[in-house]
Amino acid sequence: MSFTYFLKRAAFAALALAALMTSAFFLVRLTGDPVDLYLPVDASSAAREAMRVRLGLDASLPVQFLDWAWDMIRLDFGMSLWHNRPAMDVVLEALPNTLALGAIALTLAFVAAIVIGSIAAVNAGGWIDRGVNVLSQAAASVPDFWLGLMGVLLFAVTFRILPTSGFGGPIYWVLPIACLFARPFGTLVQIVRGSMIEALNATFVRTARAKGARDGRVTFVHALRNALLPAVTVTGDLAAQFAGGGGVVEVVFGFPGIGKLLIDGILKRDFAIVQASIFAVAVVIFFINILVDMLYASIDPRVRVE
Amino acid sequence: MNKIRKINALSVGMALLVGVALPAYAASDKLTVVVTDEPKSLDPCDTDLSGNSRVMHNNITEALVNLSPKDGSVVPSLATSWRQVDSLTWEFKLREGVTFHDGKVFDAQAVVAALKRGQDPSLACEVGLATLKGIKLTAEAVNPTTLRIKTDVVEPILPNKMSALDIGSPATPGDGKTRAPAGTGPYKLAAWTPGQSVTLTAYDGYWGDKPPIKHATIIWRAESAVRAAMVDTGEAQIAYEIAPQDGTTGQDHAFPNAETSLLRIDAQVPPLNDKRVREALNLAIDRDGLVGTVFHKDAQKAMQVVPPSVFGFNPDIPVWTYDPKKAKALLAAAKADGVPVDKEIVIYGRIGIYPNSSESLEAIQAMLADAGFNARLEMLETSPWLKRLLKPWEKERQPSILQTQIDNTEGDAVFTLPNRFTSDGNQSTIADAKLDKLIADASKSTGDERKKMFQEAFRYIAVDAVNIAPLFHMVTIARVAKNVNYTVDVQAGNEIKLRTVSYR
Repeated sequence: MSFTYFLKRAAFAALALAALMTSAFFLVRLTGDPVDLYLPVDASSAAREAMRVRLGLDASLPVQFLDWAWDMIRLDFGMSLWHNRPAMDVVLEALPNTLALGAIALTLAFVAAIVIGSIAAVNAGGWIDRGVNVLSQAAASVPDFWLGLMGVLLFAVTFRILPTSGFGGPIYWVLPIACLFARPFGTLVQIVRGSMIEALNATFVRTARAKGARDGRVTFVHALRNALLPAVTVTGDLAAQFAGGGGVVEVVFGFPGIGKLLIDGILKRDFAIVQASIFAVAVVIFFINILVDMLYASIDPRVRVE
Repeated sequence: MNKIRKINALSVGMALLVGVALPAYAASDKLTVVVTDEPKSLDPCDTDLSGNSRVMHNNITEALVNLSPKDGSVVPSLATSWRQVDSLTWEFKLREGVTFHDGKVFDAQAVVAALKRGQDPSLACEVGLATLKGIKLTAEAVNPTTLRIKTDVVEPILPNKMSALDIGSPATPGDGKTRAPAGTGPYKLAAWTPGQSVTLTAYDGYWGDKPPIKHATIIWRAESAVRAAMVDTGEAQIAYEIAPQDGTTGQDHAFPNAETSLLRIDAQVPPLNDKRVREALNLAIDRDGLVGTVFHKDAQKAMQVVPPSVFGFNPDIPVWTYDPKKAKALLAAAKADGVPVDKEIVIYGRIGIYPNSSESLEAIQAMLADAGFNARLEMLETSPWLKRLLKPWEKERQPSILQTQIDNTEGDAVFTLPNRFTSDGNQSTIADAKLDKLIADASKSTGDERKKMFQEAFRYIAVDAVNIAPLFHMVTIARVAKNVNYTVDVQAGNEIKLRTVSYR
């Protein structure tokens, strides 16, 4: 991948980011007034108006937009209303936790899906395949929050081998990772299985077998490399979703990630937090996309990242 | 043999994993409390908000006085006594030998500074915006232990109001909120890890009895089932706001939380501007059917918007009976007089305002339909719900009833009535000169006269005006570990009395 390619992608990403942030500016302001939520219900209308002036919400929308755009150019995301701290500081505390959680869950799901999906494809139509099919369909469709609560009941309350929730050493990561693992695992197993069956029936695999290549080599080198591309594409999409936070899983386990921060930010109309979170997540997604392109090129030599 | 060895190795491995990795739970001087949300602020001037107050009030910071959980009466805290000098002046004698956690001495000047800060509009403190709203207080330090507070209007319950003003150190910044409060309470703030926990440690220089628990951690989890599970596993010793479906064990204690649930009727829009329709609405609700099903079995049927512990509560107002026949007859009579009783009425609910909030309104909607009402349910998120709760409203609007609940932990009716039931109130759907005068006169008076006037105001609202459908004096559930001594009371929604907690 050349530097010029990277610059070109970055320029397109900057344009997309500007459009995204502009829509975020207008959309969050459409959702309601933060002052009503922030002040006690007994606060007088004069106090509400004073707060609006203090937050610059009394100005017309175009004026607010220009002020905001100037702040964005200087990467000044402002103060979080509810956290009473610079919004980007709050976001940058939460983002690494979410990225680590997502990266671990997705890597495990990807690796496990390749192994299980390939085994199912090799035994297509057999009882192993049928078992994998049921398991993966269930994993792909089980709701996160239910899995989370069941995990707490089983492993924390009944067996007492894991903590219910919280944040700290590796043991606190087990249940959130297990919950986030399920859905991508289920989805990827289906994809790997499908594309592996297709690859195993392809002419180049027949040729490889005809040449006398061993079964394992045919499956995991010849066929798998070709079957991986759709799985990488979907994993890229899943990674982009995970960058936006583990949502419900973070809420259930009290995991201080960006998903919970963003949900709270939206519910409390904390504009600065919502905007800073969207910006940070968009930048991460840009890098994930570059990474996926590079992976593509390294898996399939026909693809050139140009 | 090999298999046995493997199993043994696995067991040892698991034991090590559990032993090494799980956090060190309950020790005799450590306590963990789990609440629903992170506090919004730990500034002493923001303790008017319950989420902040739970962590701060009487733990880190203290006020001049406290309110008794038994009867709402004013009891000493940082002030030892008080008296009304004249109609506009109160004098407080302050406790001697009290120091703040940062080493500064507690004296009258510190209270003057805290009061000034709490009322500073540029800081937008919770106490200034709510409890001390609309009254100008000028404090003067007569000497280090004597404080005089002058008011611009007659304020017979100033001591009650001072229970909401927590006193922070004079070193608290005057130009912004602090995240590192220093108070006079039995605990000082050890750390606030955003998104995770607040930890407190006992303050050796505390003026009162030393608390048995030396280290307390307050954490927050949004899920009731997780909060409950944390007490079961020993990760926490006290958990609040357990949902009724999770709170079914012997460790779960239901207690009145000073909240009263009700439906506020918009009595200014037809057909709800007709008193018969509003009465029919009350008669159509089967309160006995709701309690023990969608509401907790210990909830008490309400006849007014404050619980019995509040000064001014009227015990003589009859509770609405369930009489769908009479409701239908009233609607028919109103219809005969040309009232548009068939017009659609919207029931605005708020998602999560209390456990089973949606389910309770679904049941009420069905009851209203049975009685002949044309009611549609709309569940709202907090922000759009607040638009319906607070003025200004559109002149041309649909007839509606609004699900709400009102809390009164301050113990006096004045904290509930003016905003909600007078013409100028920012949440009031009633504009009645007689009621305005009654509430204004009651607010200025004292003793029995005050009590009688407030009781009359509650009677007038419930029986004459009927712009509410009172539902229940609510309860909430706390789960307390078996090895912990802790008595939950009506103030538990606003105050975790850490110093009263001990291990058995």
